[in-house]
Amino acid sequence: MQDSARPVVIVMIEDDEGHARLIEKNIRRAGVNNQIVPFANGTEALRYLLGPDGSGSESAGRQLLILLDLNLPDMTGIDILEKLKSNTHTKRAPVVVLTTTDDSREIQRCYDLGANVYITKPVDYEGFANAIRQLGLFFSVMQVPESD
Amino acid sequence: MPISQISFVRRTLIAIFVGLAALLVIVAVNLWLAGQTRIYADSVTAARHQRSALVDLRSLLDDAETGQRGYLLTGEAKYLVPYEDARQAIPSQLDRVRSLMAGDPQQSPALAALSNAVPSKLAELKQTIDLYNAGKHDEALAVVDSDRGKEFMDQIRQHLGALVKSADDRLDKAVQDQTASINALRWVTLGGAFVIILVVGGCVWAVILYTRQLVAAQREVQALNAGLEQRVRERTADLGRANEEIQRFAYIVTHDLRAPLVNIMGFTSELDGCLTAIQKYVNEARQTDDDQIVKDARAAALEDLPEAIGFIRGSTRKMDGLINAILKLSREGRRVLKPEPVRLDALLKTAAANVQHQVTEAGGAVEIDAKVPALVSDRLALEQIFGNLLDNAVKYRSPARPLKIEIRAREDRGRRILVEVQDNGRGIARQDHERVFDLFRRSGAQDQPGEGIGLAHVRTMVRNLGGDITLQSDIDGGTTMKLDLPHDLRAVLATQTGGA
Repeated sequence: MQDSARPVVIVMIEDDEGHARLIEKNIRRAGVNNQIVPFANGTEALRYLLGPDGSGSESAGRQLLILLDLNLPDMTGIDILEKLKSNTHTKRAPVVVLTTTDDSREIQRCYDLGANVYITKPVDYEGFANAIRQLGLFFSVMQVPESD
Repeated sequence: MPISQISFVRRTLIAIFVGLAALLVIVAVNLWLAGQTRIYADSVTAARHQRSALVDLRSLLDDAETGQRGYLLTGEAKYLVPYEDARQAIPSQLDRVRSLMAGDPQQSPALAALSNAVPSKLAELKQTIDLYNAGKHDEALAVVDSDRGKEFMDQIRQHLGALVKSADDRLDKAVQDQTASINALRWVTLGGAFVIILVVGGCVWAVILYTRQLVAAQREVQALNAGLEQRVRERTADLGRANEEIQRFAYIVTHDLRAPLVNIMGFTSELDGCLTAIQKYVNEARQTDDDQIVKDARAAALEDLPEAIGFIRGSTRKMDGLINAILKLSREGRRVLKPEPVRLDALLKTAAANVQHQVTEAGGAVEIDAKVPALVSDRLALEQIFGNLLDNAVKYRSPARPLKIEIRAREDRGRRILVEVQDNGRGIARQDHERVFDLFRRSGAQDQPGEGIGLAHVRTMVRNLGGDITLQSDIDGGTTMKLDLPHDLRAVLATQTGGA
């Protein structure tokens, strides 16, 4: 129970530096000051989230929120989503999928696998910024459940 | 051993002709021999008749003489009966013999002699009878004793014997001839039968040989056919893979193009945000108006930078539109088609109703003549195709005349449905007929909004449905879009999946 006071850590898995920077900027603008841990590929992100042995015990007790891009150089975000949602320690961590795809089948698949929010990165920047800011508001009011 | 077709046909024909000739020869010879047999039979009958007539004549003469002798010996009238009967019958019997022997000149001397001797004998007989009746019995016997009657009778017997022998000879000869003819008939028939059996055997052999070759050839054709089908399947599968690859390529490329575009757009907005701050600062630095550095900075902040950012924004927006168009096309190509029965008439009416508002505004009308059987196809694709075509017809109408759209559909050879969408709009220049189906290409005055994807999209969808689309148009002469759709999409999909 001593972990419940821990602040939520935002894990951002995004291979495009520009996107990562824009997401971070907009999150900060929305007034969210939580720590953001960025990863540019899936392998490193999984090592952080599930540990080198892949057991997920590293994340026990962590308060996580995961921002996930679907197009990664070494694997697809869907693979990561599947691994996170099938691991007892990370399955309760909310996952926000951020991608350029607006293919309805892919969106459906992400929700089926347990994604909590799906945001399309629009080329229309205002829309994108709005979505991220709203996400920030969403962070500030939500209670991230404890991962045990 | 394979035989060539021509030599085989030639040999078979020759064999058949030989068989036919043999048959004809047999028939002809048979007919001729039958004729001969009839002739022989006739001559046998004639000889028999002659012989019996001669024998009858002799017996009549014997009767006459016997009767005469009996009467002369006894004087009783009853002995005269055979004489009288014979005397009356003999002349006609003689005539009969003469007539039967008429066709035989060899026998005519003997016949003539007979003809002379018989009346003489009859006269001698009559003389004795007459004398006896007159009571001159001695004179009558004297006549008999003179042996004149016996001489006549001997002569007659001799001639008759010769004639009967000759008739017998001819009878024997005719029978021999007939036997020979029957033998000949038998041999000819046997020979002919042999030839026919030979020919038929040869033909049967040839037919068996030929049939075997035909069967072998048919098997070979089947094998080749199967190979061909296999190759077609492989090619179709290759094409399908290539098409899929292109679709995937388009999808991935457009997808990956979007990521940098998000950055360009995003950081342009960031720049814009920064610019606002700079503009505010520059506007406040009025007091150093004449300073060249401040002037340049102001020009950059207030004119050049906003202009540049505006162009960047416009271009990215345009690029985004293009990428979306390609994505749409590639997604359409990847969409799984759902074949279902579609009543074209109703579908076209709905499509026309969707543009009815614009059509009415343009003072026009849509006419539909689509009395074709329901086809099995993808409803959504058909709706989009005809929706697009009608949109185009409305969009590119001619301002010079009221809009008139005609949609005609008819069945072609029971397997295809041909649909024509004809308008009286501004038309498409000849050199652009193919180009308008290309992505992002448009034709004529660019006075209507659009990205040039409508017809490219239509063509992709029509081809996905197993059909094709072409157009016929002249500048200011209206456009006719011609669609050729398969009657049953399932058959098209079956060949595609059968090949994949």
